[in-house]
Amino acid sequence: MFDQILFILSAVITMGGALAVVFSNNLMHACVYLLASLFGVAGLYATLNADFLAATQLVVYAGGVVILMLFAIMLTGGVQSTVNKFGIVKVPGMGNAKTYSAAGLAAVVISFVLFKILKNAAAMPAKGQMAYESTVEKLGGLLVSDHVLAFELSSILLLGALVGAAVIARPRHIKDDV
Amino acid sequence: MNNTIVSYFLQFEEFQTVVTKLSEITGANATSLVAFVIFAVAAVVVLGALATVGGLGTYAERKISADLQMRQGPNRVGPYGILQFLADGVKMIMKEDIVPRHADKLTFNIAPLLCMLGVMATFAVLPFSSGFTMTDLDVGVFYLIGVSSLVGVGIFLGGYSSNSKWSMLGGMRGASQIISYEVPVTLSILAIVLLAGGMSFGTIVSAQGAWPHQWFVLHNPFTFIAFIVLFIGVLAETNRAPFDLPEAESELVSGYHTEFTGMRFGFFALAEYMEVFVVCGVVAALFLGGYNVPFGLGEGTFLMEKLHIPAIHAKGVGQLLQVGSFVSKTLALYYVVIWIRWTLPRLRVDHLMTLCWKYLTPIALFNLVGCALWMFFFHGQSIWQLLGHLGGGHGGGH
Repeated sequence: MFDQILFILSAVITMGGALAVVFSNNLMHACVYLLASLFGVAGLYATLNADFLAATQLVVYAGGVVILMLFAIMLTGGVQSTVNKFGIVKVPGMGNAKTYSAAGLAAVVISFVLFKILKNAAAMPAKGQMAYESTVEKLGGLLVSDHVLAFELSSILLLGALVGAAVIARPRHIKDDV
Repeated sequence: MNNTIVSYFLQFEEFQTVVTKLSEITGANATSLVAFVIFAVAAVVVLGALATVGGLGTYAERKISADLQMRQGPNRVGPYGILQFLADGVKMIMKEDIVPRHADKLTFNIAPLLCMLGVMATFAVLPFSSGFTMTDLDVGVFYLIGVSSLVGVGIFLGGYSSNSKWSMLGGMRGASQIISYEVPVTLSILAIVLLAGGMSFGTIVSAQGAWPHQWFVLHNPFTFIAFIVLFIGVLAETNRAPFDLPEAESELVSGYHTEFTGMRFGFFALAEYMEVFVVCGVVAALFLGGYNVPFGLGEGTFLMEKLHIPAIHAKGVGQLLQVGSFVSKTLALYYVVIWIRWTLPRLRVDHLMTLCWKYLTPIALFNLVGCALWMFFFHGQSIWQLLGHLGGGHGGGH
């Protein structure tokens, strides 16, 4: 019963946060709601006994991504008004062919995903009491044995991003021609 | 199952009989009910104790700073002015709650709460003793790093929502400082995780001993440097001087909480002081042997075998000693934190970032590699064990 209470709480936070992100007009508020939603996802992982994944979700999203988004929104100023100084609407109106086709494609993809999830859920036997076991050692073992290529590739990608950021942020010394 | 405060109680027969009695009375399995009650009581105790520590932190800060500057400090309310923090709390609650007209109401309201939430969530894994840990998660240290990053979000939102230049600058500095210093802090913690072979506080603390030469801080030269890097890093992460740039009062009025009044400001202050206690506790657990007590007193074996005291009492005494060991180490570090604040001048922003990215991060990386090599070549033996072998070899030769 305790598991179910935790699951329902996490699910409500996740869904409520996600809906609030979509329906919020203020970009900054949307970011805060996104934080709540990501927290809910961490809770969902925790109810599935994926403790390492839950903690990673907190570290990566709550600590890194949301702060990064807040910074980006703050430094770019966000969208103050939808009309520019000439009275022309900056944000294109919804409801043209482009938006309909994008929405249709998204709906098809989401319905496939939903179908796949629901099909498995219907076939799944009633869940008993899951035995708790640590996932950290298994994950560590798998990362340096079966999935070592993916691990190394992603670390090279991150190293490249780090070097790239350093290069972009480096102050440029302008040569004195005189 | 994780090692929790409930599993500590479950090992005693007396506790089992209580559970079975309750089950007979209620007619249902009372195990979860009892577990829930124990968790609730423990949570209330930990929260109350640490909130008091946070409040007393403000008093300690003022008293120690007064000592260092040859003043008296607060001395009017209660004996030696020790009730000053309660008077301050009452003042905070009774102040008018002002929200600036152009402030972002929602974020202004939740920013102090996010700070409090981030700090309070870390209490769940804080290892007070081998039994009195709320839960000894397998990913304990990692979890702690994750939830404490919420404090950064809270500080940033507090600065942004106030709609004031000073707050904004303070919030930006706070967030950038916290996410920058997370890198060397995490790398130094990783070195210890490598030595202990686990991320749970239980594993890390039990890998050390009660005496200073068994602590990880003196395990090998690399961990000693890691200890210093971690301590500097957590000073910066908790926005303590010399890294209190987010609230630099000489340039930013009072930084990210300039516009906050009453208890909202109180929440920021309380969160800061509680976070200092938490990070000092983490440093104590990772490097200074945590809750270890010598002579097997902590496990109760000494009292049980020599004095024939029943297990439940012997272990209870052991737990109290362990809590005392942990708290005294933590408070000693707390004193050092306050001491540093009133000794060193504040850094400049660019110096702060230089220190983090050009010095601490490379040093921490070097340390991590050094620790890994040490583990590989010396099979995890500490420098004292190696010296002992050396001395023993000589002694055997003669």
